[in-house]
Amino acid sequence: MSEANTSETAAVSIRHLSKSFDDVEVLRDVELEVKTGEVVTIIGSSGSGKSTLLRCINWLEKPDRGSIHIAGQRIGVHDDGRPMPVRELAKVRAQTGMVFQGFNLWPHLNVLHNVTEAPIHVQGKSKREAEELATALLEKVGMSQKHDSYPNTLSGGQKQRVAIARALAMQPAVMLFDEPTSALDPELVGEVLAVIKDLSAEGYTMVMVTHEMAFARAVSDQVVFLEKGLIIERADPETFFTTPKTDRVRKFLENHDTPSSA
Amino acid sequence: MNASAWNMLLEGAWTTVWISAVSIAIGVVAGLVIALIRLARIPIIDQLLVLYISVARATPLVTLALFIFLSAPDLGLDLNRSVAGILALTLNTTAFNAEIWRSAFRNFSREQSEAAMAIGMTPWVTFRRIMLPQMVITSLPGLVNEMSFLIKGSPAIAVIGIVDLTRVTNRISAVTYEPLPPILVAGALYMAIIGCLVWLQRLAERRANRLAM
Amino acid sequence: MSNWEILWDERAQFWSGFLSTLEIFGLSIMGAFVIGCGLLYLLEGSRKRLTTPLRIFIDGMRMLPFLILAYLLYYGLPSVGIRLDAWGAGVGALAVYHGCYFAEIFRGNRLTFPPGQIEAAQAHGFTKGKLFFRLLLPQIIMQTRPLLGNQLIYALKDTAFLVIITVGELTAAANSLSSTYFIPTEAFIVVIGFYWAISVTMEIIIKQCGRFSAKRGFDNV
Ligand SMILES: Nc1ncnc2c1ncn2[C@@H]1O[C@H](COP(=O)(O)OP(=O)(O)OP(=O)(O)O)[C@@H](O)[C@H]1O
Ligand SMILES: [Mg+2]
Repeated sequence: MSEANTSETAAVSIRHLSKSFDDVEVLRDVELEVKTGEVVTIIGSSGSGKSTLLRCINWLEKPDRGSIHIAGQRIGVHDDGRPMPVRELAKVRAQTGMVFQGFNLWPHLNVLHNVTEAPIHVQGKSKREAEELATALLEKVGMSQKHDSYPNTLSGGQKQRVAIARALAMQPAVMLFDEPTSALDPELVGEVLAVIKDLSAEGYTMVMVTHEMAFARAVSDQVVFLEKGLIIERADPETFFTTPKTDRVRKFLENHDTPSSA
Repeated sequence: MNASAWNMLLEGAWTTVWISAVSIAIGVVAGLVIALIRLARIPIIDQLLVLYISVARATPLVTLALFIFLSAPDLGLDLNRSVAGILALTLNTTAFNAEIWRSAFRNFSREQSEAAMAIGMTPWVTFRRIMLPQMVITSLPGLVNEMSFLIKGSPAIAVIGIVDLTRVTNRISAVTYEPLPPILVAGALYMAIIGCLVWLQRLAERRANRLAM
Repeated sequence: MSNWEILWDERAQFWSGFLSTLEIFGLSIMGAFVIGCGLLYLLEGSRKRLTTPLRIFIDGMRMLPFLILAYLLYYGLPSVGIRLDAWGAGVGALAVYHGCYFAEIFRGNRLTFPPGQIEAAQAHGFTKGKLFFRLLLPQIIMQTRPLLGNQLIYALKDTAFLVIITVGELTAAANSLSSTYFIPTEAFIVVIGFYWAISVTMEIIIKQCGRFSAKRGFDNV
């Protein structure tokens, strides 16, 4: 991957992150550093806390303990423990782009306006500027023919590609993907993965939860294995998929169709 | 029927339309405000609103109009007939509209607003740009339906002496001694007004269905 | 003497107004129910020549205010030689008006019926009448219960319109008391309480019926 634009401050830096849902500890003292330009994949069985970790990064879930910095800025609370006012929180959140399993496009807006909505109403871009940007991004995800379509007329793969363009439009410091292909028909998975792969080649910083092992192996710089809220293994993809250190990961990989080669 | 009878009928229709329109406009907004307040679930205030909605939905418009018009002086208020009529219609329709808005809130998917927050919208921008437009689209068929009901209930204001499209037929037949023609024409005019609303409701339904993913 | 004491002394007037409203309501919804079922039966008979006028009649009624229909029966009919008293015109108008709403509710539900059920019954040799009364109607009534309940509350509220054509009922009682003693606020609070109590009672009964019908498996057949 491109190491050229690595900077001093990490894109995401998570320290001592813990989170419980009524007495059940879902995340336990998670530490994670994502360098700019890096692709980190989070793997783990169902209920291990992957989504929760991702949702803590942009404060959709409020952690109980620990700190999270996005591009050097702390999210959610100030260092002295004061909760962040909503406006300030929104500013930091704008540094992250999230792609959901269920797309979550806004059904009352057409494709173009789904993408321009936040640049115009959050960043205060002019309509023209936002539309130029959106046109370029929709081109990038292969949706330039569909500007005027409404979300409910699109296929799952098309929706997800629009959702990616929508997140990119804010020019975030990091893109967060939560199982972006799990809700798709098998024949549509490829088109979305291809878009994500292009992004990784362009040097976008990404944190991704996925069950697509071959894909994870191909695009990741770092693979993290989450088990009951603990990171029990982390390695570069080659090491992770060929010589896992723990029995747990070995078992997990056996149960998933392990990729033959990168 | 002569020209003056026709004139009176049209004036009656105008009275019905403008009083209803004012009540609808206030009622739609007030219903939204009440639905929003109920979202906050403030103790006591929430129970009071539930009580208001329940009583207002059960109270006949005629009774409500008489109540407001006759007891306003008791409460030290000086209401003219039109204001009392508008108040009665508004108090009634607001209760129904509040329930329509509230069900739109409840059916609004949390994921939609999460997507908005995640991209950096403040709660206010999320409400204004993402929630409200969708809620308007999903509530509109119900709101327009309630407008039809309001028009159908509007003759109640005749009881406090407002000469609306129904009451005017009495005035005309008092002169012509032929009650049937003005009543039939008034009925046709009501059908025209409500027909427009039914047509609007169809359009609104088509739009709402398009929103459903 | 406080205003409330005056009302207590005059409780007989409220009571007779209340009973009169209940009587008007009870009779007219029974009539409306029969008319609704009858209209459904006629619509079910597949004669096209009859279906279209019936649909126009039902939709037309639903586009009219109730009071206009009451006016038509009370003030209008004498012109063509039919004279009804206020009470008869009121009950008749309520029955016809809400009968059309009932019919529309039934019709809407009938459209969602799986054709297989009807065909199965026909295959078993059900006659048309039996099919309607033993198979269709009970299911439609049970399934449209919440809508019918709503309509009953509208019908109850429409009874108050009859005060305008001089029928003595609950609202008329409050009106006359408030003008005799100049205590409108108290008098109307009492009658609004009466209307509210009837509505709440009806809602509870409908909920109870819901439990019964869930047990009998009428829902989601
Ligand atoms: N809002 C919530 N309230 C209570 N418990 C929750 C909530 N969200 C998640 N959990 C619980 O936290 C645990 C971790 O959930 P999470 O969604 O992070 O798992 P996951 O690794 O993403 O699983 P999957 O692969 O199924 O998406 C689960 O046991 C889940 O039931
Ligand atoms: Mg998950």
